[in-house]
Amino acid sequence: MTALHDAAPVHHDEHESTGIANTKLGMWIFLSSEFLFFGALISNYLIYGNRAFEGTVPREVYDIPFTSVSSFVLLMSSLTMVLAHHALSVGDQNGTKTWLLATALLGAVFLGGQVFEFTEFITIQDMTLTTNPAASAFFVLTGFHGVHVAIGVLMLLSLFGISRRQGGLSEKQGMNLELVGLYWHFVDIIWIVIFTLVYLLSAV
Amino acid sequence: MSTEAHISHPSTRQYVQIAVILAVLTAIEVGLFYLDASLDLNGWDAPMLVTLSTIKFVMVVGWFMHLRFEKGLLSKFFGAGFALAMGLYLILLAALGVLAIRG
Amino acid sequence: MTATSTERPATTIFKRPSSHTGIGSWLTTVDHKRIGILYGYSAFFFFIIGGIEALLLRIQLSAPNNEFITAAEYNALFTTHGLTMIFLFVMPVTAAFMNYLLPLMIGARDVAFPRMNALSYWIWLAGAIFTYSVIFFADVAPPLGVEGFPGNLDPSDQTFLGGLPDGGWFLYQPNAGPYFSPGSAIDFGALGLQILGLSSLISSVNFLTTIFNMRAKGMRLLRMPVFVWMTMVVGFLLLFSLPIIAVALFMVTFDRSFGSTFFQAVSGGDPILWQHLFWLFGHPEVYILILPSMGIVSEVLPVFSKKPLFGYAAVVFAGAGIAFLGFGVWAHHMFASGITPVAQAAFGLSTMTIAIPTGIKIFNWVFTMWGGRIRFTTPMLFAIGFVSMFVIGGLSGVTHSVVPSDWQQTDTYYIVAHFHYVLFGGAIFGIFAGLYYWFPKFTGRMMNDKIGKVHFWVQFVGFNLTFAPMHWLGLQGMVRRTWKYAPDNNFGPWNVAVTIGAFTIALAILIFIFNFMYSKRKGAPSGLDPWDARTIEWTIPNPTPEYNFGVAPVVHTLDHFWHMKYTEDAEGRAVRRPDADEVIARLEHEGNNPPTPIHLPNPSYFPLIMASGLPLIGYGIIYHLSAAGKAMIAIGAIITISGLLGWGMEPLEEPHAPQDHEDDHKLEEAHS
Repeated sequence: MTALHDAAPVHHDEHESTGIANTKLGMWIFLSSEFLFFGALISNYLIYGNRAFEGTVPREVYDIPFTSVSSFVLLMSSLTMVLAHHALSVGDQNGTKTWLLATALLGAVFLGGQVFEFTEFITIQDMTLTTNPAASAFFVLTGFHGVHVAIGVLMLLSLFGISRRQGGLSEKQGMNLELVGLYWHFVDIIWIVIFTLVYLLSAV
Repeated sequence: MSTEAHISHPSTRQYVQIAVILAVLTAIEVGLFYLDASLDLNGWDAPMLVTLSTIKFVMVVGWFMHLRFEKGLLSKFFGAGFALAMGLYLILLAALGVLAIRG
Repeated sequence: MTATSTERPATTIFKRPSSHTGIGSWLTTVDHKRIGILYGYSAFFFFIIGGIEALLLRIQLSAPNNEFITAAEYNALFTTHGLTMIFLFVMPVTAAFMNYLLPLMIGARDVAFPRMNALSYWIWLAGAIFTYSVIFFADVAPPLGVEGFPGNLDPSDQTFLGGLPDGGWFLYQPNAGPYFSPGSAIDFGALGLQILGLSSLISSVNFLTTIFNMRAKGMRLLRMPVFVWMTMVVGFLLLFSLPIIAVALFMVTFDRSFGSTFFQAVSGGDPILWQHLFWLFGHPEVYILILPSMGIVSEVLPVFSKKPLFGYAAVVFAGAGIAFLGFGVWAHHMFASGITPVAQAAFGLSTMTIAIPTGIKIFNWVFTMWGGRIRFTTPMLFAIGFVSMFVIGGLSGVTHSVVPSDWQQTDTYYIVAHFHYVLFGGAIFGIFAGLYYWFPKFTGRMMNDKIGKVHFWVQFVGFNLTFAPMHWLGLQGMVRRTWKYAPDNNFGPWNVAVTIGAFTIALAILIFIFNFMYSKRKGAPSGLDPWDARTIEWTIPNPTPEYNFGVAPVVHTLDHFWHMKYTEDAEGRAVRRPDADEVIARLEHEGNNPPTPIHLPNPSYFPLIMASGLPLIGYGIIYHLSAAGKAMIAIGAIITISGLLGWGMEPLEEPHAPQDHEDDHKLEEAHS
């Protein structure tokens, strides 16, 4: 502490010991716990995927081409997300806005696909949450993933809204964009696992 | 340190390349699924599919989430969560006798 | 001298709260110390509730064939006693210590996310109130969403106490499923735990970020007090075990409210999966309860032995080791549920290995006291009580790892004796040690030592009278969770002893409450360093100033404060530095008169608003088939989301007076 500092006000969060911003470290810590959350749901499905005394089980009614397309959509939303982040890091506010909106739209398309899939299973295939444990496990797993995507879409849209209203994102809001991006990619990698383990490897 | 890390961040072009690779891997996965359906791969499809999705997983985490370019602490946190989840749930699946991979 | 109170906060939706006194200031506080105090008082309130529940249980069991309460009430009381003591007392009271002390011990001015800290307290309180609010809903059974489960409500479930959750704290399926527990009690239990779990998850992210990122200069990881280390370990345990119980509780809620079939054997569901998922969380949970007390004791023993903690690194790594191994032993709670012989052998072995790091800790504590100049103050007595009682509980725990022996003990009072020795003799004795030790830190006054010693001895005798006889009752075959026992089993005499012991504990708690009230007003002023302490939370005035540290500390060693006061002579004995008293006087002055203005985060309404929406969503889910239920979900969601939006638009710290910023700029220029 030099004499120069005498008049400088100090804040409660003056420094970060690890050199990683608090919010970013917090987000990574939170995401590491999400592995346990989705791990439990995926394990449920692996345990229950064939478990049914009656009714249709999900593996009999998967529409693999359809799900492949929606998986591809979600994967590409990760690209647009990283491009939004990249655009902001080079100061391209317009590009950021565009890519944010694109990411939110791709997420919405994925969600729409999921609504379509659920509706088809429930109305045409007569398979609901209550049909059997396999169906319960399927709906709860993919439903919780869908809720995560929906939360992500809301966060992306609010970032887009802020950016439009202010004509760009500030440095602090840029950090928020990075956090939303981390969350978004995480939801994507969970889907990568679900697509393989729950759809491709279990479908007949 | 941190400025060096920023310089090595991928460019737009590289991000697109990664996305193309991811798309191709997904296409191979779906292809494998139909290949297995038409000519039985004797259970070889499962390890191949798991490997392909692992590659996709690592690419998204490493490049899109920038984990490759971050301080090691973050990888440790993330790796700890992932490893613990894998370990615990594999034991759980083994204890319930459902570990055999569906072929 | 603080700059914080003079600035006018800007407005967002409402005017930003700015008062520093009165109820409003407590409802909007983001100060980690105040949040810690809130946690402490609320947890203690539930300690009393849980204790009264235990006394009712003990009156019922004091004589054979007693009918003091009904069977339904008995089931409800033992369930709620467990839920209350675990989730509404031990967890929040340790959170109180962590909140108050963690930033002080690492030399920070607050936690990493002050508003999230307030949020986690309010969510916890919302969850606690939600869980207990079931007593008002005992007559309002939810409309059954499950066709084909024609469960009937037992009229005795609808009495005042009988309406509490009654499936055991572990909510075993299918007993706690829609068929066998058709009322709303279990729904309140499951959703209440879900809300409480959310609170703990937020805390764990916050504390972990704080520990990794907010340490003072020079505070390397291996210079942190053991209590901080245990906070970190508990943070990881919470972080990784709560998502599992969240999924499991969601499955129960879906089964009960939306008709899924996860645990319904009639549709192919597997109730054993519930046991696995529950104990995957439940076993780490018991370490979540005990490790903070281990941390407290590791702080108290060295101070009153006038010696450094023996084997600091070993104690730290043993704590981490217990946590890691603790994830791999869950099925030892399920030896009697028909798991395979291989699983029994594997989990029996893994359970035995836990004894190794635990033993390391015990021996290090004993060696810390060995050859020390011991002062038998009240906190020291409680710490020694912790070590000795925990050894008994630990040893009876090892007997459960032997599978055939465990089959004999499962669901008997032997188990009840075991876990009360570790959780009461362990965790709660440790908590009292911490309370007596840090009371001057919280209040600026000493707790009365004479009354404290009476409290300790009454509690110690009462504790052993209560729980030691349960060992023999259990081995004689007295079964847990059973309302009545027959006279010809000869369980009567020991049960009388147990009941007398329980009331002795109640007396001890009354003595404590008296001591607390008395000392808070009339206790001797403590000064800065009442215990000749070792760690840096004692380098600042008591009670702690709002900004914690007048001057940000720079840490050079483990036990930094000790080394400011003591040096070693040629034979390695501690010798007080001649200028030690001057150092303390300087610290007192610096702490009260910070040389620079300190800006702290401003109070906020939004954590409270966000949290208050969650119980509404909970009620809505339970009664979702009715229009009122649907409306509740919508209203709760709107409240929570608007709280979140308001939060997002409000800066953590309000912009400061302009001249500050000019100063900032000038300084930056001067530096560059």
